[in-house]
Amino acid sequence: MRKGIVAGLAVVLVFLFVSVAWAVNLVVWSSPDNADALHELAQNFMQKNPDVQIEITPLSWEVLYPRILQDLTSGAGSFDVTTWDLMTAGAIAPGMLDLEAFAKEHPELVDPNFDDEDFIPTAKYVYGYWKDKRIGYPFYGAAMFFFYRKDLFSDPALQAKFKAEYGRDLAVPKTWEEAKEVAKFFTKKFNPDSPTEYGIALMLPRTHTLFYMYLNFFGPYRRSPEGIAKFGKVDLDWGDYFTADGLPAFNSEEGVRALQDVIDLMQYAPDPLGSDYGETLEAFGKGMVAMVPQWTACLASWKESPLLQPFEEKVGVAVMPGGTPVSGGWGLGINAASKNKEVAFRFIQYATSKEGDKIQWLKYRIGPTRKSVVEDPEVLADSPWLKEAYVASLDGASHRPRIPEEPRLEDILVGTLSEVLLGQQPNSIETLNLVASEWKKILGK
Amino acid sequence: MILPLLVILLGLTMYPFGYMVYMSFFRYSLASWEKPQFIGFSNYRDILRDRTAISSIDFTVLLLAVAVPLEILLGMAIAFLLRDTFGERVFRSALLIPMMVPAVVAGIAWKMLYNFEFGPVNYFLSLLGIPKISWLGTQFFSRLGVILIDVWQWTPFVFLVLYAGLQSLPRDIVEASFVDGASGFSAFRYIEFPLLRPLLFVVLIIRVIDALKIFDIVYMVTFGGPGSSTHSYSFYIYKVGVSFGWDIGYASALSVLLLIAVMLLVNLLIRGLRLKETLEL
Repeated sequence: MRKGIVAGLAVVLVFLFVSVAWAVNLVVWSSPDNADALHELAQNFMQKNPDVQIEITPLSWEVLYPRILQDLTSGAGSFDVTTWDLMTAGAIAPGMLDLEAFAKEHPELVDPNFDDEDFIPTAKYVYGYWKDKRIGYPFYGAAMFFFYRKDLFSDPALQAKFKAEYGRDLAVPKTWEEAKEVAKFFTKKFNPDSPTEYGIALMLPRTHTLFYMYLNFFGPYRRSPEGIAKFGKVDLDWGDYFTADGLPAFNSEEGVRALQDVIDLMQYAPDPLGSDYGETLEAFGKGMVAMVPQWTACLASWKESPLLQPFEEKVGVAVMPGGTPVSGGWGLGINAASKNKEVAFRFIQYATSKEGDKIQWLKYRIGPTRKSVVEDPEVLADSPWLKEAYVASLDGASHRPRIPEEPRLEDILVGTLSEVLLGQQPNSIETLNLVASEWKKILGK
Repeated sequence: MILPLLVILLGLTMYPFGYMVYMSFFRYSLASWEKPQFIGFSNYRDILRDRTAISSIDFTVLLLAVAVPLEILLGMAIAFLLRDTFGERVFRSALLIPMMVPAVVAGIAWKMLYNFEFGPVNYFLSLLGIPKISWLGTQFFSRLGVILIDVWQWTPFVFLVLYAGLQSLPRDIVEASFVDGASGFSAFRYIEFPLLRPLLFVVLIIRVIDALKIFDIVYMVTFGGPGSSTHSYSFYIYKVGVSFGWDIGYASALSVLLLIAVMLLVNLLIRGLRLKETLEL
């Protein structure tokens, strides 16, 4: 009896050892907002491929980029697959696997239903390419959106009062000038009858948040016909903060006006300089503000908010005032030093497939990157606003630089912008010129 | 016998230090994917023109000038007041909690406490008729906020060391002074404080070094803002060294300067407080 148990245990152990030894272990690094979706996609993939074990490791945004860079430059190969922020494309590109070259070398691994042409064109480039190298497939499509209280904007009493005061209909603002009026109207300090304490929630801390928030305001000037004539076309690698010649564009009248728009709106927002993502999420979720520029990931949290029920009647989504929201988002790529490139290639194709893209949106609010998913009847029934706002926002988005020097440039601009918003420095071309000259020095221009 | 230990110690301390000094003379950033390039003292020259580095010194000095003396005074006062009082053991244990909480956890907790709309700090202030304060959105209050957290976290350390020191003082001398008619204050002024002085100076030096290196609370609560209000020098080193894509050369130069500043300050303190004589070094 005893011998039998021991023999049985030995067989089980040998079986376990052999299956672990035979299984391919894929290490996937991910930002926390992508991790849950990737986990489900990994489970699906493992069911279809029992010889594969996938381990998803979430790393915070601040930690992920340095860790990826450290690993790629050392050639350690600690991870096989990673999500990468679009801004880090230039820095990580040399260490990432060229997916087009790999697909040519291994045509047998290419999923015939992958449909590369189905990706939204802008998404395909910014979450996929650095120069001519394909370093990832689009995983998380994101642009900022303008969320508003649909019930308040459609309230007849409020509409009448707004029209009486401003001589126009109460509508979701299409420009930042309109946004200022509407924000004032919904701020109790300026309108004691306002149903909300503040008009708008703004997040302007001294972090990367301020770098992208300012672009929501600068983008409309940069992308206007006058802006294009003055600064030239936008290069998707250098982004909207630069001219077509790769020189800073924000140290201009347009840059000052954009910053003034931010300053003007701050009086209608709760603690704008002390607020970041979590605070603005809370302010809107608790019915304190009427409008908020935010990312789509917020929707999952607001859907649970008792104050925002029934959700479809209370929360509306629109394109950012000015029409050029800042882009965000993630690509999914493979470490060139990975020892499991074949399996990794199959996995990232599945994770960014039509099926994966749809699961991500419907269950985790991770923005789609495929046209077919945005047009999918089930998706549209769930989120009708996608049709009007989503592709328009992604295609018209303003972009941050994707060059390797981006983090340093970001910190310099954010430091000065924060000082201007705090009133420590004047909002002037001279102030912005100081930043521009530091940028040029770093870029060797 | 001592040789292996010495080798390990030197390997773990002197080698990284030497490598850091060596790298400070190179341009080397992982994000550029280029090999290190010798540039002499250029990194040091750049620091003198770096607005962020210079503005970071501002807050670090403020912290040193305000938080450290407050911690010393409060820690000492609590140690004296708590001695031989009712519930001494309970208070003693409770006082140590802030020191034991990881800085990351403390940072998250304080960020919630300071929340403008929903934070308990503003709520309790409102009960006193004080309007809401933007703890993380104004220069004065964000600086005050970080100083308060530092005081909250490190006063228990000062208390712990001085309290332990007080317990070890010879009671008979103090009691003899009472027999001779000394008041409680006189006993403290002329007997206890002089006996505690060596410990106090050591605590002061440790806190000065720690304050110069403040990073975690700034990272978790304010991220250096608003503006450059709470941007500490160590926090800047972290950003350059890690967040900017491992700019190892420049971060090394910044670190070498911090090290020199710490050494200078500690030496000044040792000389100024005549610590060598006090500790019989």
